[in-house]
Amino acid sequence: MPALSPAGGVARFLGRRTVLPGLLLVPVLAFFIVWNTIPTLWLLGLSFYRFSLTSGRAPIYAGLLNFQNILNDSGVWLDLSRTLLFVVSGVGIQTVLGMLLGLLFWNSQRLPGRRVALTMLFAPMVLTPVASGTFWRLIYDPTFGVLNAMLRGVGFSGANFLGDSSTAFAAVLVVDVWMWTPFMVLMTLAALASVPKAELEAAEIDQLTWMQRLRLVLLHHGKYILMLGILLRTIDSFKTMDLIYNMTFGGPGTTTQLVAITLYRRAFEAFNMGWSSALAVILLLISIAFTATFIFVLHWREKAEA
Amino acid sequence: MRTPWQEHAYHAVLWLVALVFFAPIAWIILSSFKTADQILATPPVLLFRPTLDNYVQLFARDSFLHQLFNSLFLSVSAVLIAVAVSFLAAFSFSRFKPAGTDFLMFLLLSIRMLPGSAAILPVYLMYVGFGWKDTYAGMILFYAMFSIPFSVWILKGFIDGVSPRFDETGRVNGASWLRIITRTILPQVMPGVIAALIFNFIFVWNEFLFNYIIGGLQTSNVPVALSTGLYSSGGVDWTFISALTTVYLVPPVLVVYVFQRYLLVGMTFGTVRGEV
Repeated sequence: MPALSPAGGVARFLGRRTVLPGLLLVPVLAFFIVWNTIPTLWLLGLSFYRFSLTSGRAPIYAGLLNFQNILNDSGVWLDLSRTLLFVVSGVGIQTVLGMLLGLLFWNSQRLPGRRVALTMLFAPMVLTPVASGTFWRLIYDPTFGVLNAMLRGVGFSGANFLGDSSTAFAAVLVVDVWMWTPFMVLMTLAALASVPKAELEAAEIDQLTWMQRLRLVLLHHGKYILMLGILLRTIDSFKTMDLIYNMTFGGPGTTTQLVAITLYRRAFEAFNMGWSSALAVILLLISIAFTATFIFVLHWREKAEA
Repeated sequence: MRTPWQEHAYHAVLWLVALVFFAPIAWIILSSFKTADQILATPPVLLFRPTLDNYVQLFARDSFLHQLFNSLFLSVSAVLIAVAVSFLAAFSFSRFKPAGTDFLMFLLLSIRMLPGSAAILPVYLMYVGFGWKDTYAGMILFYAMFSIPFSVWILKGFIDGVSPRFDETGRVNGASWLRIITRTILPQVMPGVIAALIFNFIFVWNEFLFNYIIGGLQTSNVPVALSTGLYSSGGVDWTFISALTTVYLVPPVLVVYVFQRYLLVGMTFGTVRGEV
């Protein structure tokens, strides 16, 4: 037996199976408590108060008033349903397009310069969203924009895509699709990678049509991965903020105002903290529901693959 | 089997798809070599004599180098801290499964699922209250906190894949836990570490809202500079924006190119493995 040194004793104490697991968690828990638990409790508390940063008055307890105000605010409901439309149509288009392009890239191993081509395809995902938002304004510009120039070149009349309330929502959606379709391509390629090699070869030999490949091979084996991809996109799309901030900031009027922008305006322009906290609590509940669904699918997949 | 001609046509289509997605970015890069008049020319010009003036002016801006430094400093330090502490936690979650592991993993994930303006609201109030607004420590630690959830998820998945026999062998041979964690486990989960590093790096590098709200003059990063420096002399300063965006795009694109194998793991925080 080695001699007991104080340092050795400490090390042995810290290494015990009862102490070590907790010890390893301390840093993350510290982060979690300071930057998440405390702020969340703060948020929860404030949601029951009337509190405006501009009034300079102390918060006044208001019970459920903020929540009542939000539920009775038709503007918020409109923004929420607009967000829903944005999520459903955006993620829907990205999924279909991403799956088709993913299938197209299925046998691309011999593509010359494949790595460069994929980097170019994935680049929209890693471009700073405020920069994409800003620059698409120039692309869409009615006078100077390259898109209108091309449309005019083939005989159409130009349009003020972002300035016209009938086209602004679709124009923003197009940019979101451009940014995130590559993600669904990535997920489709991952789903394809999970298909047993023998079946891929069989599909190739049997000369399956695209629809057959989609249904029999990709959807059968890759459905969980695709579902995870769709869920991740849904959650991310629900959060969309930076992109719109510089592109339209919710305008014209409120035609592109998603709920993250609504909250931003009420919290950091109007400084109505009580009301905003209550809306943030509602969004938190929605996010928790999304997360629970995500984890449910994750376990489901693990069980199915086990 | 395809004929060589079909193969060429197929490859041409794939390149066309990649180029279509890249076209708006190519347009930004092209614009950064144009004069202000050329950027706003109608019809848009494709052929022109490229100028480096925009870059010269960009790097001559006092604030730009400072903001570029901030972007780099904030993202690198936050991500390093986050991955280090996440690795320890992931090891604990994976090996000892302390009570409440599933619940904690769930809570960690749900932080990242919240819209940014809702997540930052209480932190903003807290930072104003404590006087942490616009401090490097405040920014780095917040970004680290935000990078922890995905890092823990990615790393736990990878550590789960390393057989506990490695730990047992180490224990039997008298290695300390620290030694086992750093010498036996860490080398085997390096792909996960890299995925966590690059994914969170890209996130913090591109992050705008949090920096805008809890940062300030001292700590603002390039996305904030871009958003607040849009206008000069009455109009949008497109030369500034295009040059800035082009410079800023280089690191993430390089990361995607060099670490393409890790992109999928990072983008799905370890819930989906594989390479493209």
